[in-house]
Amino acid sequence: MAEELIEQLENKTAFTIPILGGIPIAESCVVTWIIMAVLVLLSIILTRSLKKVPTGSQCILESFMDFLDNFFIGVLGESGKKYVQILETFIIYIGVANIIGVFGFVPPTKDVNVTAALAGMAIILVQTAFIIKKGPGKWLKSFLNPINVLDLLTRPLSLCMRLFGNVLAAFVVMELIKVAITSNLGVPAIGVPVFASAYFDLFDGLLQAYVFAFLTSLYLAEALEEEEHEGKKEKKEKKERTLLHKQKRSCFIV
Amino acid sequence: MGLIALGAGIAVLTGAGAGIGIGIATAKATESIARQPEAKGDIRTSLLLGCALAEATAIYGFVIALLIIFILGSK
Repeated sequence: MAEELIEQLENKTAFTIPILGGIPIAESCVVTWIIMAVLVLLSIILTRSLKKVPTGSQCILESFMDFLDNFFIGVLGESGKKYVQILETFIIYIGVANIIGVFGFVPPTKDVNVTAALAGMAIILVQTAFIIKKGPGKWLKSFLNPINVLDLLTRPLSLCMRLFGNVLAAFVVMELIKVAITSNLGVPAIGVPVFASAYFDLFDGLLQAYVFAFLTSLYLAEALEEEEHEGKKEKKEKKERTLLHKQKRSCFIV
Repeated sequence: MGLIALGAGIAVLTGAGAGIGIGIATAKATESIARQPEAKGDIRTSLLLGCALAEATAIYGFVIALLIIFILGSK
């Protein structure tokens, strides 16, 4: 039993492209291609004949997209409207990738390379948004504060490891249940793992996708927020105003 | 073999922190729902988010324990 489980933890190469000395293509890459194909096909089919007054599947699609839109705009505010689409892509891809264990595939987020790439993309998105909004000078100056340097290191690490750890733990527990039922009890594992799978695969997978997207949007909102520190001019104006106010009050007393 | 088991056991102790933290958070959440039932939706969202984040540290310990058992144990 231990050997089978160790096999599951490795990343298998599905096939090798025979050019330049053989490029190995990992299994998570192939499953990602399958997810991409399915999502693109779905989006083409569902948006083919949109009517002004929605009926049927268009209703479900619109309510789902409205829900995601409102959620992200609620976190980002109005100034972050152009980033909503990439965040929605994150949440849909990670959600589908975590759940696809139910359909018999190996979830691509079980591979730490995939989650590291996703976390890297999220952090690059946040830093680029900062540079676009406030300019590269401010970006470099923000690193004088050591907390920002630490954040640049720990945030992608925790995003990557949280997603990887949850998906790996869910996968291993499901495999353990399946192996325990088939090899120890001798009956095929039908029906009993459904409850465990409902929690580990579905609930945990969707929750982790939501947490990933929510944290990225939180970092984005923090990078995009207008800073309100006072410049020298405002400080002088404030001083003059309080001085005037004091003079007026002393006149009153006299 | 015994040390590997000990190491894996110590690694999973991080679950205790997550359990205590999530328990305290849930207690405060139920208190605040009792004080203001109209904010139930917001409180539930914050609670779920906080629990998912706190759970992450417990999962790190679990993954390390798995790696210890399966990689060090099979050498």
